[in-house]
Amino acid sequence: MSRFVTIFRKEFTDTIRDRRTLFMMIVFPLLLVPVLMIVMTNLQRSSMKKAEEKVLRVALVARGNAAVLVGALTGHHDFRVIDGIPADSMEAMILRDSVDAAVVVAGDFDAAVARMASGKIRLFYKSSDDFDMVKRRLSDVIGAYEKQLVADRFVKLKLDAGIVNPVTIEEHDVASMKERIGKTVGGMFPYLFVIFCFMGAMYPAIDLAAGEKERGTMETLLTAPVSRFQILLGKFAVVVLTGLLSAAISIVGILFAVRQISDIPPEMLDAVVAILDVQTVVLVLSLLFPLSMFFAAFLLSMSIFARSYKEAQSMISPLMIVVILPVMIGLFPGVTLGPLTAMIPILNVSLATKEIIAGTVKTGLLLEVYASLILLAGLSLFGCARWFQREETIFRGV
Amino acid sequence: MIVVDKVTKTFSVSRQQRREMGPEFKGSRIDAVKEVSFTCRPGRIFTLLGPNGAGKTTMLRMIATMLKPSSGTIAVAGFDVVKEGVEVRRRIGFLTGNTGLYDRLTPDEMIKYYADLYGMDAQTYGRRRQEIFGLLGIHEFAGRRIGKLSSGMKQKVSLARTIIHNPDVVVFDEPTSALDVVTSRAIIQLIKRCKEENKTVLFSTHRMGEVSLLSDDLAIIHRGSFIFNGTYKEFENQMQTRSVEDEFVRLVEAA
Repeated sequence: MSRFVTIFRKEFTDTIRDRRTLFMMIVFPLLLVPVLMIVMTNLQRSSMKKAEEKVLRVALVARGNAAVLVGALTGHHDFRVIDGIPADSMEAMILRDSVDAAVVVAGDFDAAVARMASGKIRLFYKSSDDFDMVKRRLSDVIGAYEKQLVADRFVKLKLDAGIVNPVTIEEHDVASMKERIGKTVGGMFPYLFVIFCFMGAMYPAIDLAAGEKERGTMETLLTAPVSRFQILLGKFAVVVLTGLLSAAISIVGILFAVRQISDIPPEMLDAVVAILDVQTVVLVLSLLFPLSMFFAAFLLSMSIFARSYKEAQSMISPLMIVVILPVMIGLFPGVTLGPLTAMIPILNVSLATKEIIAGTVKTGLLLEVYASLILLAGLSLFGCARWFQREETIFRGV
Repeated sequence: MIVVDKVTKTFSVSRQQRREMGPEFKGSRIDAVKEVSFTCRPGRIFTLLGPNGAGKTTMLRMIATMLKPSSGTIAVAGFDVVKEGVEVRRRIGFLTGNTGLYDRLTPDEMIKYYADLYGMDAQTYGRRRQEIFGLLGIHEFAGRRIGKLSSGMKQKVSLARTIIHNPDVVVFDEPTSALDVVTSRAIIQLIKRCKEENKTVLFSTHRMGEVSLLSDDLAIIHRGSFIFNGTYKEFENQMQTRSVEDEFVRLVEAA
């Protein structure tokens, strides 16, 4: 036991003195999420504002119809109405970016409205521009005009406007804000936790196995009076710890990011903070612990097989996709935690984390997830220990 | 004492290695060491001489319990390397040309780490540290990160690491390869000191100058087999050429 502690202590000291590992373990998870969230939110906000405030160039063909609508459009400060463009060239004009949109009122519009029929207005726009804001802004004006026409018809027919609403739906959503956010945004959290757990474990695993081989320190260490299993266990514990620390630090990063974004409604902010309360965090980390053990055993096995640090890096980096894939499946709608999905590694962590965050996790399924992960962690550690005993592995390329 | 009895070490050969060895190599296994026997005694320096790839490192790795012999037995200080590996490692100090140090630790941390692995108590470690750090002149840079030290300083730390636990048996695997003259000399001095302290010293090299300077006993290994095994005096007596180097080349070419 004391030898294990000695090895663990040394490997941990060595690891946290490595700038690259320190960056991947602490700086990256702590800052990536806040930076991404703040930059993305600000960028989106400024683009939306720009699209909302932009004066739209609207080509209008009314042929003497819909005078109220024409008046509303021409009198609006946000639109610059352009007349005199032939109706059949609207599409081309928009594609050429000569105008932002076009409104073409049918020649018989007023007549149709007068006989209580439906008059046709064609709206040309490009949905791929400015978050579809052009359509929304013009639809608002046309919609207001339509409402006015409907109101006029009710007056003319001496009818109560309420007759078109025979049913009034009163909605009562019993899901708490925590649950709603947990089931939607909450899906993103396991994605981050699992990835940071893997990335946090990756560099120490490469450094403590392939790096040691390359530097020649592994050969020296093997001459010390400790068993290979003790050596492996010391390294393994450090890799597990760095993976977990990285995931835990990413939680701090998320909380920091959420607090930095100013326009999140207070009740939503409270819900996000409630999602990441101590109990939830402990429960999520307890899931990540066996997953981190699996990552550590697997990464160390790959790393010890590699001839050099560089080879280990090129062998391990593509595995990130293999890790991300089950997490992404967990984000698909309809994929929920059940007896089968609880057995699938990584996917089960993703789904269980989502349920834990939403506060809807079932104890039985959670225990199944734990059992599956502990079994996987145990098997992978056993495999790694066997792998570490092989001369062909340890002395490959040495 | 090291007693090696009819030891063979066979490695399986990968497809890539087969390609590297050329078309004349047939089969999927290769004997890196073949039926080798020798004895290293306390207070004597046994030199293992051979060209690159002759099997020296494989032999030394088996003695240090890193590799298991495919057949035959090796006993170090009376302990079997396969059955009593930990006991063997307790009594052995192993040094390679590659310093094998952790760049992000200080010499103090590095040596303490190995002292802890060897199970040394604080008092013994303190005494031994003073003695060895003084002998090798490590005190002045004991607190600096190893990565920032010169190669000579690193080799001194490596030497300290090898002998901190006062081992009965010391194995040096080409310790002076790629080192400057001053540092090489420090290592040679230490090897001589180990002999004076009645330790068993096994030393592998391909530098002829070191052979005549240090050897009490000598074995020449070529393609995994010994082509000479005896005392250095016996080697000198049977020489048919003028220098150790010429004699070595003659024996290798004749084999």
